[in-house]
Amino acid sequence: MSARKWIIALIATVALLGWPWLTEDKFLHHVGVLICLTSIAACSLHLIIRTGHVSLCHTAFMGFGAYGSVISVMQFGLPWPVGLLIGTALAAGVAAIIGPIVLRLTGKYFVLITFLMGEVVRMAIIENTAITGGSNGIFNVPPPFPFLTSNRAYYYFALAFAVFGVGLCARILTSEFGRAINAIREGERLAECSGVPVIRFKVIVFVIACALAGMTGSLQGHYIKFVGPDAYSGFQSLNLVVMNVIGGMTSLAGALIGTVFMVTLPELLRGYVNLQQIMFGAILFATMAFLPGGIIEAIRRIRALLKPSKPGLAT
Amino acid sequence: MLNATILGQVFVNGVSLSAIYILVALGFTLLFGIMRVVNFAHGEFAMLGAFALFYLMKTLEWHWAFALPVGVIGVAAASLVLEWLVFRWFYQRMFESMIGLLGLNMMMMFGAVQLWDVHERNIPTMSGDVLMMGDIIIPVDRLIVVIIALTALAGFYLFIRHTRAGLAMRAAAQDLETAETQGVDTRRTYKIAFFVAILLAALAGALWGQIYAVSPFLGERPLLMAFIVVILGGMGSIPGAALGGVLLGFTESFVGTFYGAAASAFLSFGVVILLLIVRPWGILGTPEN
Repeated sequence: MSARKWIIALIATVALLGWPWLTEDKFLHHVGVLICLTSIAACSLHLIIRTGHVSLCHTAFMGFGAYGSVISVMQFGLPWPVGLLIGTALAAGVAAIIGPIVLRLTGKYFVLITFLMGEVVRMAIIENTAITGGSNGIFNVPPPFPFLTSNRAYYYFALAFAVFGVGLCARILTSEFGRAINAIREGERLAECSGVPVIRFKVIVFVIACALAGMTGSLQGHYIKFVGPDAYSGFQSLNLVVMNVIGGMTSLAGALIGTVFMVTLPELLRGYVNLQQIMFGAILFATMAFLPGGIIEAIRRIRALLKPSKPGLAT
Repeated sequence: MLNATILGQVFVNGVSLSAIYILVALGFTLLFGIMRVVNFAHGEFAMLGAFALFYLMKTLEWHWAFALPVGVIGVAAASLVLEWLVFRWFYQRMFESMIGLLGLNMMMMFGAVQLWDVHERNIPTMSGDVLMMGDIIIPVDRLIVVIIALTALAGFYLFIRHTRAGLAMRAAAQDLETAETQGVDTRRTYKIAFFVAILLAALAGALWGQIYAVSPFLGERPLLMAFIVVILGGMGSIPGAALGGVLLGFTESFVGTFYGAAASAFLSFGVVILLLIVRPWGILGTPEN
């Protein structure tokens, strides 16, 4: 890394660690926690999107993680770390079972089947009232550790997991494995001919991403002290897709930018839930129609405009 | 409990559900077959159709035979503005259309919440009479729903098969470039197809609102059903939409009556998921390259 990159990384670290002490506003700390948790979910979905599949049931895996963890902690009295592991393993296990089947579908068929699977999971949660509490959900979920009561403390807790989750995604994408993922997206047949085991790689990515989603689900459930079916519906999965789309689907940074944008905006527009949804809809439509590359693409274009054009190069 | 009376009721139920599902799904599959647009906002046009009928019948107190065509055609005509503003950007861009039109779906749904609030309303019934056929009781309004839906389906079939615009649509669906070189005005064909698709959706919504209640969230279920029907039959296939609609309508009415709504939902979702895995292009569709 160049010196400039080190300095940027240092500033970012100080900013991420220091900002909660600049304000006593609990609400801002809360937004910080949400951004950390959502960024793991959005970035793990980004992994799946990078293989060329848009999943509309990603929050269903958050649901597996959340319910798995909350039920093991509340009904079986297990400590939270065990609950976290059980939730994560549950999400990963389900992904490992259905992955090899559904990942053979591409494009619109994958979108449709994941949309339906998300609905099935939501209906299953609502129907199994005895285990999941049905549509009412489960209340009074204890925090992971007794000392994690303030939002500020939970922020650092969530930040650590976010650094792990997002870092894992970044590491995967920059590795040789990540290049294989790109190859699969750009040309599946070609990748296969070049010796990339396409289905196996897709399943590995899917399982890792869903495990991260399960982890996020556990963290989120124990943070908001409630799990209910609505938090894991197709609508919420769509929100994660929107984050990726708005930010730009071609880079992990896009997913992060999209997360910050999509989490802060509704929190700031709390009083106007309807208008907020209408605005999201408009943003989604406008991005897809006119700027499929998202915010990252917009930044790129603006920078290209600002750069002095080299003499002798036709524009 | 299994006797002719109940079976008869379930059958009547199945026919009316099937007819409505086919109406929604036909428009959906038409937009997909011709413009390659996955219209996630399709259910919202059904919602608009229901609200139009509600206002004409309840507030203006028109007779349904007058209110229904005026409301449905009005919605379809007004939607041409959306075609110009939104849909035309997504023609032949399948992936972008899916997500972009989900955005439109959100805008329309919550726009309706903003305008009309979330509470449910009831459209005055077309007729309160019942028809007795032996032991089977048929409510007349259900019968009217079935007759209107079947008429619309027949009209659609004639339009697609026997008019020049219908021919142009089939040509554009089969091979866009060849159709264009043969002098088919695709821009105009798209507009007509859009109008017809929205007309069918709005009609389905109005009939749906007759049977159930009207609310801004009315569109969710028809959209889901259109999805299932279209995947069952095969995306872009018109006979497929008809077959899928009949299968789903009868499954829902039979399984729903005897085993409950949740069982029928699980069954139809499960079947569709299996079908997607084994034969993603549907029962009557053709695989794409």
